Amino acid sequence: MTPLLDGRRQYSRPNNRFLIFALAAILAIGGLTTRLFYLQIVNGGQFTVLSEGNRTSAEAIPSARGLIYDRRGVALVKNVPTFAVKIRPVDLPEDRRDDVVSRLASLLNMDPADINGAIDSNPGSRFDLVRIATDVPDATARLLSEAGDALPGVEVVIEARRQYPLGTLVSQLLGYTGPVSPDQLPALRTEGYLPDDLLGKTGIEAYYETQLRGTYGSKTVEKDASGRKIQDLQTVTQAQSGDSLTLTIDAKEQALAQKALLWGMRAAGLKRGVVIVENPQTGEILAMVSLPTYDDNAFARGISGKAYAKLLADKNKPLLNHAIQAHYPPGSTYKLVTGSGALSDHKISTSTRVTTRPYLLLGQTKFWEWNHRGWGAIPIMLGFAHSSDTFFFQLAGMLGIDRLAHWAKNFGFGAPTGIDLPGEVAGIVPSNPWKQEMFGEKIYPGEVYQAGIGQGYDVVTPIQLINAYAALANGGKLYKPQVVRQIIGPDGSVVRPFAPKLIRRLAVPRSVLTTMREAARNVVLVRHTYNLVDLPIVVAGKSGTAEFGIRDSKGRLPFHSWFIGIVPKNPKKVASDPTGMKAMAREDAQLVVLAFAYDSRTKGNTATEIVKYYLQLHFNIKHDYRNFDLLHRGNFYQSN
Amino acid sequence: MGVIRAEPARMTDWAARSIGAAWRAFDLQLAAYAGLLAILGLVMAYTNSVEQGQAVLSGGTTFVRGLMWTGIALIAFVVTTAFDYKWLKTFAWPLYALQLGLLLATLAIGHGVGGASRWISVGPFDFQFSELAKILMIVVLSNYLGARQGRLGSLTSILGACVLVAPPWILVMLQPDLGTSLVMIGILAGMLFMSGASLRWLGSMAGLVLASLPIVWNYILRDYQKQRLLSFLDPSSDTQGAGYQLFQSQIAVGSGGLTGTGLTNGSQNQLNFLPVQESDFVAAIYLEELGFVGALVLLVLFAALLFRLMVAGWRSKDPFGMMFASGLASMILFQLVVNLGMVIGLMPITGIPLPFISHGGASLISLAVGLGIVQSINIRQTRAEW
Repeated sequence: MTPLLDGRRQYSRPNNRFLIFALAAILAIGGLTTRLFYLQIVNGGQFTVLSEGNRTSAEAIPSARGLIYDRRGVALVKNVPTFAVKIRPVDLPEDRRDDVVSRLASLLNMDPADINGAIDSNPGSRFDLVRIATDVPDATARLLSEAGDALPGVEVVIEARRQYPLGTLVSQLLGYTGPVSPDQLPALRTEGYLPDDLLGKTGIEAYYETQLRGTYGSKTVEKDASGRKIQDLQTVTQAQSGDSLTLTIDAKEQALAQKALLWGMRAAGLKRGVVIVENPQTGEILAMVSLPTYDDNAFARGISGKAYAKLLADKNKPLLNHAIQAHYPPGSTYKLVTGSGALSDHKISTSTRVTTRPYLLLGQTKFWEWNHRGWGAIPIMLGFAHSSDTFFFQLAGMLGIDRLAHWAKNFGFGAPTGIDLPGEVAGIVPSNPWKQEMFGEKIYPGEVYQAGIGQGYDVVTPIQLINAYAALANGGKLYKPQVVRQIIGPDGSVVRPFAPKLIRRLAVPRSVLTTMREAARNVVLVRHTYNLVDLPIVVAGKSGTAEFGIRDSKGRLPFHSWFIGIVPKNPKKVASDPTGMKAMAREDAQLVVLAFAYDSRTKGNTATEIVKYYLQLHFNIKHDYRNFDLLHRGNFYQSN
Repeated sequence: MGVIRAEPARMTDWAARSIGAAWRAFDLQLAAYAGLLAILGLVMAYTNSVEQGQAVLSGGTTFVRGLMWTGIALIAFVVTTAFDYKWLKTFAWPLYALQLGLLLATLAIGHGVGGASRWISVGPFDFQFSELAKILMIVVLSNYLGARQGRLGSLTSILGACVLVAPPWILVMLQPDLGTSLVMIGILAGMLFMSGASLRWLGSMAGLVLASLPIVWNYILRDYQKQRLLSFLDPSSDTQGAGYQLFQSQIAVGSGGLTGTGLTNGSQNQLNFLPVQESDFVAAIYLEELGFVGALVLLVLFAALLFRLMVAGWRSKDPFGMMFASGLASMILFQLVVNLGMVIGLMPITGIPLPFISHGGASLISLAVGLGIVQSINIRQTRAEW
């Protein structure tokens, strides 16, 4: 064995490999240097900006949402501080999620499915907070904020929630606020909404969202990588409180209207009904009640999925404002259009007598008078008063469908009134072009007859109907109905004062309208509406019975009943005007009241009884004129 | 082989030479570069501790642990320098057994994140034995390849080296520790190349490895490993998920600019944007806080260190010394390129520490042992003929 330390190499050293290895090392280190030069010197500035952006971010300062008052200043909504529970998904480890959700569910007394649903339908990123529960009791909130590591990702925040002191009285009108839904978020984000934000979902809360919300402020905050806030840096812009609203609604009238409607519906065993009270001189809505209803507070508190599903499944649709969001056949109330049209087009005059019969024959089909007898040859004052079907069949025939449609549209039917509430529907005014488009054929003569008495294809919303009668009452000015009277700025100044908005002046001559108002008074005078005439005040009006749906075993159709009452200014009956005709010749009516009773099938006209009861309450009439026996079910076609 | 042969000449060697002669042969430059790099590592430990809001000198901070490990590493360095490296040849096989034993123990009782077993707790400290296993691997390969001088043109030598590496490599993959297993392949490749093995065979082997990549992808790599590789291909596509680390790391490096944001002032680090900032991604903090100037200092130190290692190998009269120096140089170069490459977005995330700078006792002590062996080789050669 060669001694090791003899100073000679014991192997042939691969010198060229040393060279190559050194070159490779130089190349590798040179490559790293080049890349670093590019990143740090050439592109350095760009990354510095990115790094700053990483650290600070803008955060919104919520603004105080505007309040809502009735026309007398009664608060209809308040902002109350409340604890909300939110989850930041990025901080909730997936393997602990089930555990955290089930513990949270039991603490909050919620269904775990609702919590999981909220997390899964989170519209924002995993770094954004997801709303789990609003209006959490103090004790629970304290418990949750102390849970800390036991409930990772769960945060308790204080925020303002809406409280609706009158609850179910004004639910569909006011609407409620709720969390931003995933499909809304992309559009709303550009307007400054946050993923866990609340916004008006329905009713006035939704329609006046922009005004009520105000403008969110902005501040810069420092955050770490997990999105946790370290500190507020500075306020960039202050939050600006939202505007408040004063409604045209009078909470007292609303309560009376609801009381009257509830009584009528209970007495007759009805499931749905509407009462609207309007000032015909301005288009202001004083009361708008749609039953059944729900409680906005349930939504403001964060409604459970189960409770919401139940409301949605209810076939009487409590979430819907039936006054504007549903349309129904108007029945005989529509004779206002047919009569006004025939007079305006000079098909008849006030003295023209039209012969009423037990029925009209069109081909093989009999078109029956509602009492199967008729009243002989009568002028429009009586035809309207008795609500003669054969009378208005003939008027419709004289007008033809397209003229009839013209006058209907002139009265505001077939198009939304433009009331300041969301979701209004248009109704249907049948005409030849309409039927051509829908069914590809012309209107049949029988359908013209039906259209003349508000049956067949005719459907209207309660708001359209009362608005048409309001125009009748004021002498031809068709106003846009309004529920918000004024918009008040945060400093108390009036941002938008009230002004009536005229849709159009009716093309119907004022003299024709005066005739129709007198005819409407005659409806009451001939006791078509039973004892309504006995009230100590002058009331004109028109009832309607509208068939719908499927015939029963005796060939009878179920029906809705309508009544629209017009009350003149100074309505007290006076000796100088025993019939009240003089009062009705004037155009100064202050009050128009509509009642709609869905699927009534009572002996008498339930809607008339409801309006009568409302007027009793409104005018504080001590004597009770209600006819309880008219509200017994089962009898058919007692009045029309 | 495998028989311990006592050679009187070796026993007397140390005593026969004067301390002065040994000191003259000691590569002061090599020690100095390594020392400076270790100090940079301590500086990073300090800045990390400050940024984590720890009282720097209280027990258990990154900095205090760093100081302690550096002290232990220094002792390890002195001891291995004094130790005659030629004994390593004698003990090569027992050391191989020790390497396998350590890795098996790690698998059996080790712990780590996400179900991996990488560390063994020694008292209050976690020790990653796979770091030490890399050095032992270099010893074993140096012994094997050094003994096969003259027969390196044959395929058997190359295959033999591969067979030697296979068991520890498999044990590391089982942990699973992709980073260390890649470093082992890097060491093997570097040492085979430097041994003078047939380039034709080496080329064919490399081709074979490349061809087998699809199999590795489908059957060997874990999902998170694939995810890291995929996110490397387009880090900005998913800046909150798998590409997050890569993206944040590049932001950190880029925002360093020429002179850096200053020690303890890195925003990325301070606000926890960077994950694993004390170990695998420490270079990102370094580059953010010390900038391009700091990067040049670091790279020059590494280049000088590698140069001194190659010089040691060049000077070595016996093939073991040359192979060991080459192996250590391969390891450091490979880890430098892969770690920095990862931080600046040239390489996928693989979890390979940056030598000296990344915090980790095992890594530092293993480097100290390796460098001590190289110094032992230096001082046990006769003066070079040049």
